[in-house]
Amino acid sequence: MLKSILSFYYQMQVFMFNWIDVEKLVGLFSFEQYDPVVFGTSFFLFYFFAFLFVFRILAKTKDLKVWTIIFFSIFFYYKAAGIYFLLLVFSAIFNFYIGQWIFNSKNENFRRIIFFASIFVNLGVLVYFKYTNFLLEILTDLQVGQFNPLTIFLPIGISFYTFKAMSYVIEIYMEMLEPVKSLRNFSLFIFFFPNVLMGPIDRASEFLPQIEGDFSVSKEDIGRAVFLIIVGLIKKHVIADYIGLNFVDRVFEVPLRFTGTENLLAIYGYSIQIYCDFSGYTDMALGIALLLGFKMRKNFNFPFMANSVMNYWQRWHMSLSLWLLDYLFKPLQMGLRNMRGFGNAFAVLITFTTVGLWHGANWNFVIFGLIHSVFIIFSMLTKPLRTKFYDKVGLANSKVVNFFQIVFTFHLLMFSGVFFRAISFDSALEVFHQVFTFMKPEVFPQFLESNTFIIILIVLGYIGHFTPQKIVDKITSLITRMPVVMQALLIAVVIWIVIQVKSADIQPFIYFQF
Amino acid sequence: MISEQLANVICKELKLQSFDFQDDTTADQVPGWDSLSHINIILAIEKEFAVKFKGIEILKAKNLGDLQRLVDSKLVK
Repeated sequence: MLKSILSFYYQMQVFMFNWIDVEKLVGLFSFEQYDPVVFGTSFFLFYFFAFLFVFRILAKTKDLKVWTIIFFSIFFYYKAAGIYFLLLVFSAIFNFYIGQWIFNSKNENFRRIIFFASIFVNLGVLVYFKYTNFLLEILTDLQVGQFNPLTIFLPIGISFYTFKAMSYVIEIYMEMLEPVKSLRNFSLFIFFFPNVLMGPIDRASEFLPQIEGDFSVSKEDIGRAVFLIIVGLIKKHVIADYIGLNFVDRVFEVPLRFTGTENLLAIYGYSIQIYCDFSGYTDMALGIALLLGFKMRKNFNFPFMANSVMNYWQRWHMSLSLWLLDYLFKPLQMGLRNMRGFGNAFAVLITFTTVGLWHGANWNFVIFGLIHSVFIIFSMLTKPLRTKFYDKVGLANSKVVNFFQIVFTFHLLMFSGVFFRAISFDSALEVFHQVFTFMKPEVFPQFLESNTFIIILIVLGYIGHFTPQKIVDKITSLITRMPVVMQALLIAVVIWIVIQVKSADIQPFIYFQF
Repeated sequence: MISEQLANVICKELKLQSFDFQDDTTADQVPGWDSLSHINIILAIEKEFAVKFKGIEILKAKNLGDLQRLVDSKLVK
């Protein structure tokens, strides 16, 4: 009898283990390089629903809920960066104690020393992982010596969470925030999975108080979350991925193989691709955070409606630009204020070179930053003259002028975007070469015929971007009033569409690399 | 309370006829007060009151009330 039970047990075990592929099961929970759990994949949905079930139903107490988010966030980051999740843990512990130390020290000089040391450590880690090879390349170019690039793993999201953690220490140093008492709550702020990989770069002073709440969500929050997740999925996985993979990438890979018309269309396509990619991801992140009872920072506000490059940075990736405005530009400007306009210009130059470098360690990003500095400094210097001129001809506050400013600004952005996207500086010049000397507009009808879907998606992307807030609000409230079953069905339909459109593997989010 | 003297300097710098400044008024509520004109306003205030601010003191000021208190604290010394 015992023998037969044992044998049955053994057979069941063999059956179970054959049925559930053990290796695959382990793979589900272990780190695989270049395979992070991206929002919008079926893997993420699987993990997220399991997490949501534990968070909303099993975790009865507030403490359990907090721990659930922390563990899931660590797991999420581990899936993306492997052993480097320890960096995240280090960042949390280090900045937590630095914050307390700065707050409790009475000696002003000592305070300043700790503060700058902490900035040095935070930026030092970032520079090591992200910029070492670029610095070695510069040293080699300057013929200081021959340096071979090192094999350094770039932990995903490091630029985002380093800045997030730094905001905490800076705010304490500037006496805008009191340190949190609980390391656990602070870790939640640093680890928080919706924004750990790609922002928004939330501020400690806005995020930490939310951990004190009860994570409750209203019907409006759920409606808004559903709307954001749907829109994010469409923007990222239908529009951005498709036009990227099937058109923009191909042109930028070998610009000389395409006519000026195609190059120009690729530039327009790239502008909407990167917007849909990044803001789509952000929408999903905001929606997911809302379902957990957290409101994160707004990151986009109709960026292509900007009527100046300066205005663009108040609308695009706002959590980064406001971070740099508050913590880099303003202190620089204050320090240089006796130089007046020149001080302003210098602060702009440093800030936007940083913006460029923040996106990546290569010269194209530096050039991108410099171009933006030149735009802004030029606009700053000519503003009094322009204002005088518009006043004189009676065109101040003119809607027509504003419209042309928007169109002009958009094209300035597209120009700088070529350097941002091109695989090298020479390749960027090739794109312009094709546009200005090999336009061949007659290929357009042919292009339209063979790439109708791409053009439709590009146009749809722009329509989506320019959809007035009023209409967005109306759709959101419509979704809010739907029964939960309908909302779930809506998400399911969108996922189905995404699967249909997805012609190839999921493209990594463009902003991951930064 | 924002003193008339402070209000006048700011209005003059921003070329405003007048503006109803309150303690909780923030820069973004005042027409023309952006991150670039900010520096000229601070310099004008320093000149008007013959005071010198530390960079961090200005950065800490969140609204007009903070700025007024900062100016007052310098004048007492």
